[in-house]
Amino acid sequence: MTAPVIEVAGLCAGYGEARVLFDVSLAVHAGEIVTLVGSNGAGKTTLLRALSRLVDSTGTLRMLGRDLGRLRPEQVFELGAVQVPEGRQLFDRMTVEDNLWMGAYRRRDRAAIEKSLGEVHRLFPVLAERRAQIAGSLSGGEQQMCALGRALMADPKLLMVDEMSLGLAPVVVDELLAALLEVRRRGVTVLLVEQDVFAAFSIADRAYVLETGRIVREGRAADLAQDPQVRRAYLGAD
Amino acid sequence: MTDGTPILEARGLTKRFRGLTALERLTFQLGRGEILGLIGPNGAGKTTLVSLISGTLWPTEGEIYFEGRRIDRLPPHERAHRGIGRTFQVMKPFPGLSVLENVAVGALFGRGGGERHRSRARERALRCLEFTGLASRAYDRAEALTGPDRKRLELAKGLALQPKLLLLDEVMAGLHPAEVDEVVVLIRKVRADGVSILVIEHVMRAIRELADRLLVLHHGEPIAEGHPDEVLSHPRVIEAYLGRRRA
Amino acid sequence: MTLRWLAAALACAALAAVPLIAPSAFRQFGTEALLLASLAQAWNILGGYAGYPSFGNSAFYGLGTYGTAVMMARFHQPFAVGLACGASLAVACACAVGVPILRLRGPYFAIVTLGLSAMLAAIVRNLAIAGRNIGLILPLTRKDTLFYELALGLLVAATATVALLAQSRFGAGLVAIRENEEAAAVMGVATTRYKVAALSLAALITAIAGGIHAYWITFVDPASAFDGSLNVKMVIMAVFGGPGTVLGPVVGALLLSGISEVLASTISTMASLFYGVVIVVAVLFMPKGLWDAGRELRRRGLPYFGENLRRYRL
Repeated sequence: MTAPVIEVAGLCAGYGEARVLFDVSLAVHAGEIVTLVGSNGAGKTTLLRALSRLVDSTGTLRMLGRDLGRLRPEQVFELGAVQVPEGRQLFDRMTVEDNLWMGAYRRRDRAAIEKSLGEVHRLFPVLAERRAQIAGSLSGGEQQMCALGRALMADPKLLMVDEMSLGLAPVVVDELLAALLEVRRRGVTVLLVEQDVFAAFSIADRAYVLETGRIVREGRAADLAQDPQVRRAYLGAD
Repeated sequence: MTDGTPILEARGLTKRFRGLTALERLTFQLGRGEILGLIGPNGAGKTTLVSLISGTLWPTEGEIYFEGRRIDRLPPHERAHRGIGRTFQVMKPFPGLSVLENVAVGALFGRGGGERHRSRARERALRCLEFTGLASRAYDRAEALTGPDRKRLELAKGLALQPKLLLLDEVMAGLHPAEVDEVVVLIRKVRADGVSILVIEHVMRAIRELADRLLVLHHGEPIAEGHPDEVLSHPRVIEAYLGRRRA
Repeated sequence: MTLRWLAAALACAALAAVPLIAPSAFRQFGTEALLLASLAQAWNILGGYAGYPSFGNSAFYGLGTYGTAVMMARFHQPFAVGLACGASLAVACACAVGVPILRLRGPYFAIVTLGLSAMLAAIVRNLAIAGRNIGLILPLTRKDTLFYELALGLLVAATATVALLAQSRFGAGLVAIRENEEAAAVMGVATTRYKVAALSLAALITAIAGGIHAYWITFVDPASAFDGSLNVKMVIMAVFGGPGTVLGPVVGALLLSGISEVLASTISTMASLFYGVVIVVAVLFMPKGLWDAGRELRRRGLPYFGENLRRYRL
């Protein structure tokens, strides 16, 4: 029985005096797409930051059975947990190609990197077309693809995506969701933090609902989508 | 001025940056008390249009009329004095100040030059906060607000200007559907108060609820205009913007 | 509120009485410190409230110096006329260069102001009426206490101006410009006009300080009038004390002047080293200035320092 990719138990985290997460427990298994939904300020981004060890926390934090508690962010990255941060955070003044290469910064095997680049190009053909374009001049959707591509260049085991759909046209969001399904098919586990709950539920296997720092619901996405309380609080009136 | 005059009118509006045409001969009108929705893919020119109306940018060609008078060469603060208010896509509260002080700035400098005295500005600011449901957080630091409360703050700031026209730039970004519903109610309240509104959005849920009319931009040009039901089932709009899933 | 004004009035009276009882060496130090405090306060208007850090206010200081000196030495006018001339030159200069320079944001603005002072010094060096490189000598007056009281008077006036500004609509506009200039413009603040007004006000106060100093020292020359080191001093003092507050720059200036003076007379060999250490420690532990530290320490105690270290860590 393989260890879950991510296992969190009793996690508490915050910034200085302000505590954000209280006793959070969740697990993500290999090959799953798990989504985390909740209001702004509920602590979703803080949870991702705690997973990447960008923020201090107490409680159990394990990746593939390995305790992350004392690791530095680069070490968590080396283990294969890669974040696609909110707002993309591309290197605006570098080209698309350079941004992708930066994703592979810590890898040494040049042949393997080239292979990854090819895969990213197949997944997002627009990144191949616009390889010499300055990243900051891409449209919102293309920038999100570039950010995803850059994360994939790190050959991750776990992809943590934060607010992918922010500011993007519906048709573009659909393309990105399809891309995530393909990413999962290639063996990468996905943890998706998303405001567009409908979009998230359309591809996720399981979901967790975070409310003011606590997990209040969890289960299969399909079940939660039908749950009356979840519908009322997050999906809104019909 | 008769009732028929649109509050806002753009004629042949064109904006070119070095080598890039953001808007190409755009012509449209916004009637008094109307909510016009503006949608389109990123890079379609929506934020450029808002910047042209609020005065942060000047057009390369074409004119903009507000209440029948030309405004396209006026500086931003003049336009605020005439009654044009806007919210920002990236939440830009004045960080070091409290919620009340943020809104008070709008009251001090808004339509007609705003209030002369800070005490009266604060009174007006409080009324705006009550209107948007933020009165209980008046003395909190603006940065402490999250989610829909941030949006309420942006709206309150815009309202403190006593605008006749309000430009809402992706105000729903980052809200989940139930929160979107809350802010929709608030915007309807603003319109009921007599304010004309131009709404730019990607959140279709909000647009469907709010807009009287929709205008769709693509590559700087309008590709559809009219009643939301018509526009949202227009094949070009589905292809360029909505995608099959949400048609 | 009235309690605060009362306390302020008492403090001023006490400061005013000092030269009557203190030795003349202290009077000298006091006058210098009070003038520096006025410079810091003037800088505070544009730098602290509006968020545009000028590194060229010594230009206005120099104009005030020379305006006064030329009127008094060449045209034998009384001191008041000299001051008026210097102040007018400075304000005119502020309005003239303000409009183009204030369009520049942040670091670019700071860099351009650096050049302003040097430029004016070069112009003065070529003017016969200003005595070229040789300088000018002003009529002598032995009343030391007069200059102390004048400097104190200027500081009180400057501080009162900032206090009123902080409560006014104008002040709210400046702060809005500092916090987010684009939002301020779109909300109706006439940004360029306000920035030029702030610069002119700063220029006025700075020039008067220059004029007082000129009459006091009775000798002016381009190097000392347009002294570039003044720029650094006034910025450090205002920022150390608390930019964007009413009393911060005053406290910062007086305190730093005091420390500098004490160090110079006791550990004179390593005085500058210690001064530097004070500054570095201050920036690490209280980056928002003394005033903010004082207020927050009362609220949160010692953890304040730890938080600052962590938040601004490099």
